[in-house]
Amino acid sequence: MAVMPIEWGKVREYAQATGAARPEYLDDPHAPIPPTFLATVVFWTPIGESLRSPQVLKACAEAGMEAGRHSLLSLEQEYVYHGALPRAGDRLHASEQLRDVRVKQTRSGRSMVVVRFTVSFHDQPTLQDEQGELRAECRYTSAYLQREHP
Amino acid sequence: MIDPVPGATLPERSFGPVTATDIVRYQGASGDMNPIHHDDDFARAAGYPAAFSAGMLSAGWLAAYCTEHLGETGVRRYRTRFREVVHRGDTLTASAKVVRVFEVDREQRVELAIRLRKDGDGSVVVDGTAEFALQPQGAQQP
Repeated sequence: MAVMPIEWGKVREYAQATGAARPEYLDDPHAPIPPTFLATVVFWTPIGESLRSPQVLKACAEAGMEAGRHSLLSLEQEYVYHGALPRAGDRLHASEQLRDVRVKQTRSGRSMVVVRFTVSFHDQPTLQDEQGELRAECRYTSAYLQREHP
Repeated sequence: MIDPVPGATLPERSFGPVTATDIVRYQGASGDMNPIHHDDDFARAAGYPAAFSAGMLSAGWLAAYCTEHLGETGVRRYRTRFREVVHRGDTLTASAKVVRVFEVDREQRVELAIRLRKDGDGSVVVDGTAEFALQPQGAQQP
């Protein structure tokens, strides 16, 4: 669990880097976050520990491949928002959960270990709500791809 | 704004030609400093002809395209699949089409099929779906 403060300067920087330099992001100290902004959680906590979980390493070993950075592909990312969109000034609590691990074959017959994991973003806990309200989830689908045989 | 009718489309928007600056600026902003996106030597050692852009930059451009038309506070779900890599010099075109209009907890929502294609061969680099509230909380009535 890591705390991620949503900072206006970071929202502005991210908006400008993605072709979204609009006043809604640039001029409002409580700017809403761009749809993929929560990717910046990596400034607060490393994510992807699911990709090195024992379950994944075992699946890779069984498929005869290495769970290395060079063979890792990002296939899909999905952001799901609950309630009001997070804004600059909010503080979110991020935590990661492994969803599942599957072994697949590509069209060219190579093995692929597909890992799905979720990073959840909650409000700060309150007396009434120990976990805090769920604000957003980022669902990752990544894969380790077997190298082509020479 | 968009016509909340299945089949309605957004006007297309062009991005690029993609530069090394676009890529490193996104990497700096996002915190993903994977050298495969900016270091040609590193990319070649990994078996690629050259460094290639970050998939999340394409996803971010498509997101900017959606929020420009549907508002900055309306996003409820945003899913992108990474289909093909983008290289420096590529020019890309974003498009979106309404798939369905529906209601969740008395909120009118629209689901869009979104796509970013490479100009020239027309190959899809990123596609996915975006769900936006039509009159998000805090938005002014027209």
